[in-house]
This record gives sequence, C-alpha cells and structure tokens, in this order.
Amino acid sequence: MQSALLSTIGLTLGYRDIPVVHNVAFELERNDVLAVVGHNGSGKSTLIKTLLGTLPPLSGKLDWGTGKPETIAYLGQQTDFDNRFPIRVRDLAAMGAWSGLGLLGRIDEPCQNRIEAALERTGTAEIADMPLYKLSAGQLQRALFARTMVQDASLILLDEPFTAVDQTTEAELLTLIDDWSAEGRTIIMVLHDLSAVLQHCNKSLLLGGGRALFGTPKEALTPHNLVGHGYLSQSQSAWIEAMYAKPEDRHV
Amino acid sequence: MFEWLEYDFMVRALIATMVLSFSVAPVGAFLVLRRLSLAGEAMAHAIVPGIVIAFVIAGLSVGSMIVGGLSAGITVAVLTSLLARMTIIREDASLASLYLIALALGIFILSAAGSAVPLKSFLFGSILGIDDETLLLIGATATITLVSFALILRPLVISTIDPVFYESQSKRPGLVTQWFMFLVVLNLLGAFKALGTLMAVGLMILPATAARYWVSTITGYLFLTFTFALMSCWVGLIVSFYLPEVPSGPAIVLVAGVIFFLSLIFAPQGFHVGARLNPLRNGSTSVNKTNPNKRETTHEKTV
Repeated sequence: MQSALLSTIGLTLGYRDIPVVHNVAFELERNDVLAVVGHNGSGKSTLIKTLLGTLPPLSGKLDWGTGKPETIAYLGQQTDFDNRFPIRVRDLAAMGAWSGLGLLGRIDEPCQNRIEAALERTGTAEIADMPLYKLSAGQLQRALFARTMVQDASLILLDEPFTAVDQTTEAELLTLIDDWSAEGRTIIMVLHDLSAVLQHCNKSLLLGGGRALFGTPKEALTPHNLVGHGYLSQSQSAWIEAMYAKPEDRHV
Repeated sequence: MFEWLEYDFMVRALIATMVLSFSVAPVGAFLVLRRLSLAGEAMAHAIVPGIVIAFVIAGLSVGSMIVGGLSAGITVAVLTSLLARMTIIREDASLASLYLIALALGIFILSAAGSAVPLKSFLFGSILGIDDETLLLIGATATITLVSFALILRPLVISTIDPVFYESQSKRPGLVTQWFMFLVVLNLLGAFKALGTLMAVGLMILPATAARYWVSTITGYLFLTFTFALMSCWVGLIVSFYLPEVPSGPAIVLVAGVIFFLSLIFAPQGFHVGARLNPLRNGSTSVNKTNPNKRETTHEKTV
C-alpha cells in the first residue's frame, strides 16, 4: 500500500511555547484538496507556517511519507504584500521560478514557457507588462496564482486566497485548483466560504477552541461541529443546515 | 566657465561622487522600497560616536573610521532589537532614542576633545576632504556594494515585495536583511567625507524617492536613481565651489531636493497618481456583512 504524502501525529501548534491548537491529526494523499476552516486565532495560519517549516510544532510530528517535497508552493494573505513595488505582472509570476535558479541562474526557455503558460491560464497574459500598482485586487490575486503555478510544486499551500477578490475571480481560480488536483498535486487551503469547501475540497480540517477535527467536509463541517468549534453561532448555523439539506441550492 | 575643472581637489571630488553614486543608488532605492528611509537616517546618526571616538584615538584614517562606524552601527542595531523585544517600547522609538543619544554623544566627544577638524565639515562634509585614502574607501565600498547587489538582488526583491513568501522559500531568510543593513552602514561611511554625517543619507534617499515618481520597473528605477544621485553630486559640488562658505553636503542634498520637487510635480507617478493607486492596504475591499456572498470591491476597474 502506498504511504500517505503527509500525515500528522499528535501535533500541537503554537507560538513561543503558547499552544494554539492541540492534537492536530490528518492524512493526505496525492490529489487531495484539504480545506482548513476555523475562526480567527484558531491556528489556521499557524498550521500553514508549520507545514512550510518556518514555525516548529510545539509537540508531535509531521510524517512526510516519501519525503518532504523539495518545493512547497505558498500563497499567503495579501496583507504583507507590497503592491507598489516597481515590478510587472510577468516579473511577479517569474518569481515563482527564482528559488530554483539560485543567485545568478538565468531563466531558460522551458522556464519561460512555464511562465507564459501560467499567465495564460490565470488570465493575466494581457496585463503581463502592467505594473503591480495598477492592478485591482482580483488581478493581483490572479498574478499571484500565476506565481504559484510557476513554482510547479507537488504540494500547494494557500492561506485565505479569496479574501479580497470578487465572486467571478474566486470561481475561476477554484477551477484552477481543481485542475491542480487532477494533475496529481496536493492542495491545502484556508477557506471561509463553506459552499466552496463543499464543492471543491474532498477533505477538511476544522480548527477552533484549541481542538481540531478532520474528515470529509460533510462529516466534519456539520452545523453541530461548526458551532462546537466556535466557527458559527447557534443562530448562524441555520443557513448551513439549509445548505446541507438542499445541495442543489449551492452556488459557487 | 569650467575653471573648477582646473582644480585637482574638484576633479577628485567629481570622480569620488560619481563612484559613490553608483554605490549609494541601489542602497537608497531599496531603503525606500523596503520602507526603511527613516531607519537609514537614524543609522547615519548612530554611527557618529564610533567615527568620532576612532578619530580622537587614531586620527582621521579610513581604517579607524570604518572600524568605529561599523562598531557603533552594529551596537545601535543590536540594542534597538533588544529594547524592542525586551521592553514595552517598539522598534521605531527604541531606534530614535538611541540614535539621538549617539549623535549627541558624538558631537560632545568631538567638541570636548578639542578636535582639529572643524565641526561644520564633520557634520556637513567638505570637498577638500577627499584624499587618496578616501577615494580608495569609496572605490572599495562601490565594488563591495555592486558585487553584493548582483548576488542578492533576487532575494532582496522577493523579500521586499512579499516577505512572508520569501520566508517560506528561503532557508536563512534573515541573512539578506542583515547583509543589506551592512551595505547601508558601509555606504554611509563611504559618503561621510563628501557629505558629512548629517547629510550622507540625503544622497541615498532623495534621488531614490524622486526616481520612484518616474518609473515602474526595477531596472529603470535603479538606473534613474543613479542618474539623479550623480546629477545632485556634480551640480552640488559646483555650487559649493562657487560659494566656498557652503559645505558640499547641504549643496548636494539641496540639488537632490530640487530634483525631488520637480519630479513630484511633473512625473507620471507624482501628484497625479493618488487616485490610481490600488488601496489594498487601506482595506477598501470588504465583505458585505449582511450578505457574505456579496463583496464590495471599490477598486475593481477596467484596465
């Protein structure tokens, strides 16, 4: 039997010896799309940083099955991003290849083709020569998805990738995530849009109140669990119950 | 009209400032891009006591100045970091407190020691101060800076645009920042003789802010920053030549200031750009709280 790409055992996550969430246990295979759902401060970004290796777990361990991927693609929240930096969309996408080029390596033809394909696929080819400060939030997020594509990684981490974009852009980028999964990549993304989770993710990890619950979205993200983990209030859970009851009413 | 070219000290100063411009342009450009302009100013003042103590002990030699300046700069940087981590005062206030103390201490020691170097030329620079040793220092500074930038440009760009992404892709993310701050201090020391301790950072920041109004690519930005720095140096030196009472530092920085204001008014990304800037940081994109599926996007626009 093929071993899992990534599994965690008794993982406790936190900052500077202050635990945020205990006993995080999940298992991922190739093609999996894992949604990480939770209220603010529940440990979602902490988990992403731990997976990236920039924050060590307080206890427990990550088991990388066949070995930790050489490149882990990462798309963070736009809060730390400097959109006034004098650089074009094409250069931003190319940044995805820079870690593989070393300090002085040049972008060769296959790499250039990868950049062009990423620009085309994310709908940013027409604005490829535009400076970043002229982009709307949606265009910038598309350009960042192009950078993520250029990273060409088997594991992709996305931290709230749709916070600042409109519904159309979100829907188009979600189909791109579906394609990544079909290509055999594994995706872990922090999401708040539960309808998107139900439609595009086959696994979910619910964080909240210092606890973690792993399962398929339908198993883990029940109204009862969402309320129990502090993600929804009792009154807010009514609409998600309706969503479960009438799946045909879901909209992307 | 070109009688200033007949003077050896002027030719030295023109050559020195040209080489210096090559060196300070990328450093200043990234100080501005990394939003560290004021930290650069603070660091320029922080190195003063080191330079002064080295001068009092060993005279005005380049070697002692580098050792003194670097020691003072590193001490202030480390103390700032410690204060910010271990006390309630944040990094900006810690740095401001320490550099003000450092500057006052430097001037105090210089005056108390009865220095042979006029205070004015120490603070504001003198074109007469550019001897062979200083030319060598500036040449070495420019060489180290340009070679360093060739090596760290990519990580520097990524860590400036998207520090969290850079941290996720780098094994030692702090190294590029530390190396960059070393280059800042090195260039401040290189610019010390021509511009003085108070004005040295002006040649880094003003050409870089002025150039930012004109260009949208990093290559163009670095090139234009260098051009503005060189123009400021040469015109400033000539002004200082004809007005001997005016030290070279303020003359050079004032010319850079004129370029800055002209750019502010006439450049495509000057006064007119405000309405076109993407206001991501102001959080103007928000989720409608009454209907989570409807987002209010105030800055979506046709391009």
